[in-house]
Amino acid sequence: MKSGFNRYTYIAILLVLFIKLPQSVHAQEVLPSESKLKDAKTKIWFNTYGNIRISKRLFWDAQTHFRFEETEDTPFIGQIGQIYNRHAIGYIYSKKINFSLGGVVRINFNTDESSTDRKVVPEWRIWHQYQFAQPMYSAMIYHRIRIEHRWTQGFEENSEYIYRNRWRYMFRAKVPLNNYKLESKTLYVSPEAELIMQSGKAVVGSVMEDLRLTTTVGYILTPRLTVAGGLMYSQGQTLENPGVFKQNWTMRFHVYFSPDIRKVKNKLPAIHFND
Amino acid sequence: MFKMDHIKFSFKLFLVFFTLCQLIQAQERQEFSGPMKIGPYIGKAEYTFILKDNDTILDGAFRMNQSNLDALLKNSDGFFSFTGSFDNGYPDGDWKFQFGEFQSESETEVVGYQYRVKVSGTQHEATGNMVLGKPDGNWTYMVTEIENSEVNKTLFSSTVEFDQGVPQKSFRIENEHNSLVGRFLRNGLAHDIWTLYSDEFSDRSENWFFNEGALQKIEYNLADGEVITKKVASSSNLTKVIDLDERFINLLKINQKEPDTTVVFQKGIGELLTENSGYYRGLDTILSALGKSEFMPGFKVKAAHFPLDSLGNEQLQSIKTQYARVRKTSQSLLENTQLNILRRSDREAQFLYAVISKISEDFLNPAEKLVDYHNQGILEFIPTERLFDNVWSKGIPSKTILVQGEEGEQTYVGPGANEFELSENTITSVHQLIQYAALSIESIAGKLEEKLLKESKQQELVALEEKMIAQSNHIGQVLDSVKLGLSKREREALESIQNLADALLEKYATMDGTGNKTDFGLQVIDCLEQLDGLTIAVAELPNRWANIQEKYQDDVWNPFMATVMSEEVKKRISNSYRSVLVPYLLEEIKSSLSCDNVTKLKALLNSSYQRMLEMREENTSKLERKLRKEQDPEMIIQLFNLKSSENE
Repeated sequence: MKSGFNRYTYIAILLVLFIKLPQSVHAQEVLPSESKLKDAKTKIWFNTYGNIRISKRLFWDAQTHFRFEETEDTPFIGQIGQIYNRHAIGYIYSKKINFSLGGVVRINFNTDESSTDRKVVPEWRIWHQYQFAQPMYSAMIYHRIRIEHRWTQGFEENSEYIYRNRWRYMFRAKVPLNNYKLESKTLYVSPEAELIMQSGKAVVGSVMEDLRLTTTVGYILTPRLTVAGGLMYSQGQTLENPGVFKQNWTMRFHVYFSPDIRKVKNKLPAIHFND
Repeated sequence: MFKMDHIKFSFKLFLVFFTLCQLIQAQERQEFSGPMKIGPYIGKAEYTFILKDNDTILDGAFRMNQSNLDALLKNSDGFFSFTGSFDNGYPDGDWKFQFGEFQSESETEVVGYQYRVKVSGTQHEATGNMVLGKPDGNWTYMVTEIENSEVNKTLFSSTVEFDQGVPQKSFRIENEHNSLVGRFLRNGLAHDIWTLYSDEFSDRSENWFFNEGALQKIEYNLADGEVITKKVASSSNLTKVIDLDERFINLLKINQKEPDTTVVFQKGIGELLTENSGYYRGLDTILSALGKSEFMPGFKVKAAHFPLDSLGNEQLQSIKTQYARVRKTSQSLLENTQLNILRRSDREAQFLYAVISKISEDFLNPAEKLVDYHNQGILEFIPTERLFDNVWSKGIPSKTILVQGEEGEQTYVGPGANEFELSENTITSVHQLIQYAALSIESIAGKLEEKLLKESKQQELVALEEKMIAQSNHIGQVLDSVKLGLSKREREALESIQNLADALLEKYATMDGTGNKTDFGLQVIDCLEQLDGLTIAVAELPNRWANIQEKYQDDVWNPFMATVMSEEVKKRISNSYRSVLVPYLLEEIKSSLSCDNVTKLKALLNSSYQRMLEMREENTSKLERKLRKEQDPEMIIQLFNLKSSENE
């Protein structure tokens, strides 16, 4: 009886939240006659990407990012913005195609220095991803479609979750600079462009959440360890007003690691997926 | 009644005995019919024989022949036919020998139901009777020339009457141009005048005058009535009955004072007798192969005899053995290729060679003649004076041997020359002469052998040195060719190898030529060979490392790049090899290389590489754990299970 009550109460609250939120929290502001570009923020991200092989076809995708942003006094690394944990189980369809499904927990820190609201709120996502690779001359190009189902809330006390879908497509190339192919001891440059669209009840006009243009230079230390660093420019509509665009300059530093925790005898043959 | 029984019993006994004999006879006598070979004669034979102690003893009729029509028609046929009989292994009864060679003529005719082919060629035919293996009664031997199946001319014919092997009465031997007639006493001794006269010129003849076997003189009647008489002087009171055969003819020639230059007849008495006895010997060869036979002319003469006393005989034996030995030594020296090369550049060798040559000519060749006479059995019939005239026609050689050299005459005096007295014409003197020759030759051989040994040692050293230089050069070449691609460590190791090689050569060069230079040279070569191997092993290091690196790779799929990358595997092993083991070995080569450890170092370098190739495939997880932080090269050698010698 008690649990039943609780459940219904919970659903009711959720429903109220979803219906009321757009109206109460994100009331539409007036569109400006011309689009406005906010001042660019500077940020710095430290990202780790783990790809841990657990069977012939499955891997554990484990990513942890530490994202900092400017304060009034300090550009780029003035304060912590988000700590981001993305995990998934991936399926290797072939050497060039793989799929992933998993969840994200992101810790959002309140970066508004004047705010008196909560300092930290969590954010939840379910995500799935489809990645295709193509060799092109000595380089490789990649197409990544990532779909995220995202629950976010504001920093205000008792602020409610809003639900959105994110539609992401990334085009990326990796061009070896000191080698004829991507292998150990290779320096490469990687230009990338990612468009992130969003949809959901809370999204009225701001469908382009973010457009990210990045150039990264990386170095493949071993087949199992790569480091990279680059600079990203991004801009997108603010949720509050589609006529207002935010923009960022972000320095990104990555570590890619791909250990294989299988027993030796299961590793062989290492690359023959179609056997 | 009793008597009748006795006769019956005797008769029965006789019957039983007779049957038994027949039985034994029938059991023992066997017939043979099949192929047979006697000397050059191969044909079909038929005969009867008995077996006695596993020996085949011919007994009864014998027949053997061969003729080949195919061969005759194609080219020519060597035919033969022997018929006769044996009695308990002895040729006995009538015998007929026919053999020769015929060519077919193109002319043929058919007579009755037979093809007749006319033949031409030569035929030998001998017929006569044998008693216990010896000729008995009239024997004729004819050699005829056949043309178109008819006798064209008689090339040779002899008719001799025998009495159990002893020639009787008179004989006649003819050839194409001359005829010889003579007679014997009952004991086979030649007697009276034996005359050879020409069939064409009635005034020419050769006469041998015998008196009861002793040849007194020889007379040649020449065309113009000239008569040459040669007295055969008997200078001895002793005589001995011998066969009138080649030996006696030889003896006559030797005993002629001056060589007989007058050719009176194409074939004189001597030649004719020799020819006859040659034919007889041919038949004896056939008969002796089949049974026991003495088929010979058996003409006897009395020859002057000069027997040696027991000392002389002893000395003669000694001469024979010493001659054989000295001849062998001198011959081998004269034919020695090494000496023949050496004497071109070495004056003393040339001189000694010339001395041997001179001794061979002046001492040994005559001695050979003497020995030959003795072997023939005619030595004892030659008077000493004649013997020395004949053998040492230029006189007994001097002990001082003169040799014509490039710078005039040189003399050689053999060891102990004073103890020898060579001047007399006696066997003792010959004995001394051969001893002197033996001593001289032996002494020269000793000197030359020493020289040759020295020479061959010298050549051995030259060969060694050539090999050494080649090896050292090879090391240098390898070094030069790889130097640029090598690391400092590797270069230093190679330089150390070359330094050792140079040091070895220098040490060898400063040794004096005596004693163990060859031994040391061989050691140097061994060491250089190993150093050469080590050089190659060091020079190969970069290639080997490249191979190892290539092998110690695994393909890994990188999920971030979606590419396959090569990954180094078993890094601890390759690191141990690359960073500890090889530097350690190179350092060893650089700092303490010697001929004693070169083999070991080479083996370690080579086997470590081999092991690296092997370990790639092996399960090495344990080893890899042990190698963690292992910096002791000796420990790594142990862990890698390396062989430090190539034989292990």
